[in-house]
Amino acid sequence: MGRIWKMIFISCLLTIPCITLNAQVKGTNLIEYQYGELPGDTAALSTIYDRAVVNFYKKSFRASVALEQFYTRYENRNYLKLTQYSIQYQTDQLEVKIGNFYETIGRGVLLRSFEIPGAILEDLSYRSRHYFNHDILGFVAKYRYKNFTTKAMYGQPLNYVFPPSQDKKSRRPDIIEAVYSDYSFKGQTFGASALRLTNASGSKVYGMVTASGKINPVVSYYTEFAKNISNYAITDFSGQSPNAFYGNINLVFKKTGITAEYKKYTNFLLGSGINEPPALVKEYSYKLLNRSTHVLQPLNESGFQLEAYYTFKNLSTLTLNNTVAINDFGERYVFQEYFAEYDFTLSTKHDIKVFADYAEDPFTLEEHRISLGSLIEWRIFKVSNIKTEYEFQTFNRSGESVQNHVLTFGYAWKSKFICSLTGEYSNDPFITDGSSNKIWLGTNIKFQLNNENSIQLFAGQRRGGPACNAGICYEVLDFKGIEIRMTNRF
Amino acid sequence: MKTFIMICSIMACTLIKAQTVQNFQLKNLENQTNSFSELRGEKLTLIDFWASWCKPCLKAIPELNKIYAEYESRGVKIIGINCDGPRSMAKVAPLSQSLQIKYPVLLDINSEVMNNLGLQAFPTLILVNFEGKIIWTHEGYVTGDLEIIISEIEKNLGNR
Repeated sequence: MGRIWKMIFISCLLTIPCITLNAQVKGTNLIEYQYGELPGDTAALSTIYDRAVVNFYKKSFRASVALEQFYTRYENRNYLKLTQYSIQYQTDQLEVKIGNFYETIGRGVLLRSFEIPGAILEDLSYRSRHYFNHDILGFVAKYRYKNFTTKAMYGQPLNYVFPPSQDKKSRRPDIIEAVYSDYSFKGQTFGASALRLTNASGSKVYGMVTASGKINPVVSYYTEFAKNISNYAITDFSGQSPNAFYGNINLVFKKTGITAEYKKYTNFLLGSGINEPPALVKEYSYKLLNRSTHVLQPLNESGFQLEAYYTFKNLSTLTLNNTVAINDFGERYVFQEYFAEYDFTLSTKHDIKVFADYAEDPFTLEEHRISLGSLIEWRIFKVSNIKTEYEFQTFNRSGESVQNHVLTFGYAWKSKFICSLTGEYSNDPFITDGSSNKIWLGTNIKFQLNNENSIQLFAGQRRGGPACNAGICYEVLDFKGIEIRMTNRF
Repeated sequence: MKTFIMICSIMACTLIKAQTVQNFQLKNLENQTNSFSELRGEKLTLIDFWASWCKPCLKAIPELNKIYAEYESRGVKIIGINCDGPRSMAKVAPLSQSLQIKYPVLLDINSEVMNNLGLQAFPTLILVNFEGKIIWTHEGYVTGDLEIIISEIEKNLGNR
């Protein structure tokens, strides 16, 4: 009963301010129902998850609340929580935010927070679903004046492995205090930052400097260097001294773009994972390649990534990528990948993408990994198309030959109605549970009712494994059952 | 009862209408800061939220170039807001150059603008009128969507 009153109170909290203050209100709601089995389940489980976000606007002020709730038949997994709330004041020069906020320093070497739109996370240990975000609870103030920017913040970053059903101490074990300032002139920006991290293991201070800009119309660059400055001398670059360097150079010529990136991270995993230095590994939309990603090891990793784009006269594009990541934990692991993709249009209406990829991944014991695939969207009539996608992957692991296949058939009518049927096959002994092979068959249907409402349905089996979305990689669990998702924007 | 509470909370939320784009400031590909108020169109502004790893986003860009070429002189501006995070931010400028993007591209490394507007998919296109109100939202990009975007622009140009 107490929960019902809490819910009514929260609903009033969400709606009364907009009526009394005549504020502008906007928000979103995401609700997802699942019925099915995850790894380890012996019977199908029914769960429901909901997240409502409401933002109130009044002139330069903004208030925001996010309410999350999750229910199963197991009480210890259930929760109803205001997981985010904030008040913000913003003008062209000043911005102050109290509550939950997202902030990244530089390219994430010192501090990285994020929200993955629409992603719901579930961990096998807790079996409680929650929104995938990595925010900070505290306050941040930013000031901009002409070419000068500065920001100061204090807060507790979220360790997103723990769902809202867990206590705050587990979810937010770190405290940060940070300042960042930069100054721009003649197309160049120079910045500096200091961050104090306090947690159960004590207090440490990290410093960072950045430089970025455009040298001429062809060349631009970005560099940042950070290190622990409280426990080690500034000149100490030994294997124990935490330090991180990231840099890139971009070259552009008419229809060609080239980017070259370099990284060297030593002992640079901060707290419970408040930072996320750039991985320098390409994020793919192709299922097999996305799953075969190399996961960054900030404790010891160096390497580079080269990528080039060329757009032909007929607007077809060629993408080439080469990635090398080296980890040295007493034993040296060298991840290497070569990728090529050609994207073109046939008869001015059918879109075709073909790719080829070769990799060596000693971390996952995958030798001579070859991946090939094509994605074709056949336009039929004026506003509908049929999608066919096929991906194939083969590699050797400990003398065994492993193959993965993905086949998708889909139909789309405008962006209003999209349906697809996906079949996956693997004979990888790591995931076939003792059988010689495993097949996953699932269907997806998405119906966009109007600008504000959409419904998605999944039925069948979904293959789990590492997945990268919006630059963040995480583990997706195998699922067998049905899933219905409704999103509403208001 | 739980379902009832959930439905009530959704209904309570849907009582409210109107969505305005608040002014924002982001850096462009030239490392200069631009604001929405500087870049918005006299009559309409089409904002494209995209990322380099999103294939439908890249498919939409040449079509948006065509719209920009045709409608800029009629008071319609396009702003591309790139939401690549630190992992792929370095690729945005070379990719934009290769795709010959004609309209301004702003970099939102934290997806702040997108999150503030409650948008949850890539690509998302929003059409903003001269008052700053969002009058149309479109998620995803498939063959045939160009005609839909043009029809929406024409309809709203007619209303101005």
